[in-house]
Amino acid sequence: MKTIHTEEGKVHEIRIDKNLMGKNNLLVQQNLALLDKHHIKALDVLGSIGSGKTSTIQQLVSHLKDKYKMAAVAGDITTTIDADRIKEKGAHVLQINTDGGCHLDANMVRNALELLELEALDLIFVENVGNLICPGGWPVGAHQRMVVVSTTEGPYMIVKHPGILRDASVLAINKTDLAEAMDVDIEQLKADALKIKPDLKVVFTNGRTGEGIQELIQALGF
Amino acid sequence: MHEAAIAQSIVNIVLEEAEKQNATRIESIEIEVGALSFIGVDQVRFWVENSFEGTVAEKAKLIFINVKACLRCQSCAFEGDLRVEEDPAFHMSLPKFACPKCGSSKIEITQGRYAFIRRIKLVKD
Repeated sequence: MKTIHTEEGKVHEIRIDKNLMGKNNLLVQQNLALLDKHHIKALDVLGSIGSGKTSTIQQLVSHLKDKYKMAAVAGDITTTIDADRIKEKGAHVLQINTDGGCHLDANMVRNALELLELEALDLIFVENVGNLICPGGWPVGAHQRMVVVSTTEGPYMIVKHPGILRDASVLAINKTDLAEAMDVDIEQLKADALKIKPDLKVVFTNGRTGEGIQELIQALGF
Repeated sequence: MHEAAIAQSIVNIVLEEAEKQNATRIESIEIEVGALSFIGVDQVRFWVENSFEGTVAEKAKLIFINVKACLRCQSCAFEGDLRVEEDPAFHMSLPKFACPKCGSSKIEITQGRYAFIRRIKLVKD
């Protein structure tokens, strides 16, 4: 500890060197260890409100229900709309209301994992809060991260939010049927994403019809 | 507002340390912010200053240091800065999550991913 004397007292310089996200990182590791112990794979799903995160999860649940036992942890600021929609498709769903919080963190997900019957599960979807900024910086302790963007959000979703791809392995470009009406070039969205992250797996989807979901399942390795 | 979570963390660490050291005043706090941490410094400052009101840290100077992002390539062992492309069309910077030398995507971000509270200066009577 370095000490300097001033008139009113001694000024001490104290090294702290603490990661401000350190606690979250620790819980990320704990969540992953817990999931691995139960041979469960978890997918963190990010995207803005209305991008089609819930529809995409619904489609994945419908397509995979004979293969895996699944649950979803749905993060939302309020309401249980998303949770109810996923439940309809046959997955066990747990709702996390963040009460205004802009992202899920590893602590919230840990609390959710404690409430799930992990012995009976193979796959967990973590639907993050609809937001393309904050969740990007907060890993929750999932094995993979998928980002969902859609054509109705306009042509600049990727270049305006490059950070969201930092930890993502798969990008679903959703609502491809509306691309023409929205005058959005989906190939350009894909090119923007690959420019930022060349190894990203990019899939065109339509959450309403299920188009592209098989390709998405392949990209996710499910 | 993920800045609120970061600000809360800073406030807790500083006030705990102040108590531990019997500080009468916190003079300055040095915070390192990584380029890929997605933290808005102005917002953090606002939240922290608000929370410090009426505490020994009320007059503390908040010093933010921006730290660039660095990577290590697992394919060619390159170590250096993450490439950021300036796109004049959008007036924005696009990070490229790949090795600037060999183009491999098997990279590890070694710096700039997080934010750290590095040191504080405090006064004891």
